Amino acid sequence: MTRTFSLSILIVIITIFFLKTNIYSVEPEEFLENPKQELKARNISKNIRCLVCQNQSIDESTASLAKDLRILIRKKIKEGYTEDEVYKFLTDRYGDFILLRPPFKKSTIVLWFLPFVFLSIGIFVLFWHHKKSKRKLL
Amino acid sequence: MRKQLLIFPSIIFFFVLLVFFYLLLIDRDPKEIPSALIEKKVPNFETQSLLSNKKFISMEEFGYKTTIVNFFATWCKPCREEHRYIKRLSNEKDIKIIGINYKDNSQRTIKWLKELGNPYSNIAIDSNGQIGIDWGVYGIPETFIVNAEGIIKYRHVGPITKKIYDNFYLKIIENKK
Repeated sequence: MTRTFSLSILIVIITIFFLKTNIYSVEPEEFLENPKQELKARNISKNIRCLVCQNQSIDESTASLAKDLRILIRKKIKEGYTEDEVYKFLTDRYGDFILLRPPFKKSTIVLWFLPFVFLSIGIFVLFWHHKKSKRKLL
Repeated sequence: MRKQLLIFPSIIFFFVLLVFFYLLLIDRDPKEIPSALIEKKVPNFETQSLLSNKKFISMEEFGYKTTIVNFFATWCKPCREEHRYIKRLSNEKDIKIIGINYKDNSQRTIKWLKELGNPYSNIAIDSNGQIGIDWGVYGIPETFIVNAEGIIKYRHVGPITKKIYDNFYLKIIENKK
């Protein structure tokens, strides 16, 4: 009984896991006819934060603002905007926060370098400890 | 020896903890995103005006008086609640209030304004949310303070409530100078 129960829970978890990776909110009428342009739009949408839900990209979000932004991105691509121009258009209005991947800038330098600083501190502490324990053994 | 090894990570851990506590204690709303349009000129746009048959041309509306821009809709409940404060602002001297009717039904909005009163000197119709995107709007109601030179000075996300009103009014006075 408990085994069947655990097994069904496991199946549900696995299904949810795979469902999540496959769900996109792009509606059929939003698709561009040109597959190259559509792919470009999808790639941009995956990097744009949904400002209503904040931890989802607009590609996954069902919020109405996310839909508006998806349509807008497709419109801009149709007009001949490059990827960088689309990103600039959006960050000019919503700031860098709209990008899921923070850009490398003066103001984000700490954010990018802090993990390396912590890693170096960790390595230093390990070496230091290793050296001291070696000395003790001698 | 083991104690010595723990000193450094502990210092870092407590430092991180301190930062987290500081962020918890200060008065901030992590959901509120700072506007990218502060200190920038108002976006140019043209649309239909709700109150007249004329076009709403942004170039004609900004740049000579302190202007409050309020994004609202009849389907948004907090907009109804903040309406009395927008009306209160409209009684102030030398302040112009522009409404932007966000993704709404015009007939319903006219009825709504007849019922609650109209504080706006002009209302732009944003039927598909494009004007909202140009202003960096992500959830209405949102209210902007634009100075007499047509520069956006402040943005408030969410309804103007009794608690917020005084602070918002102070921001207007600061930017009137």
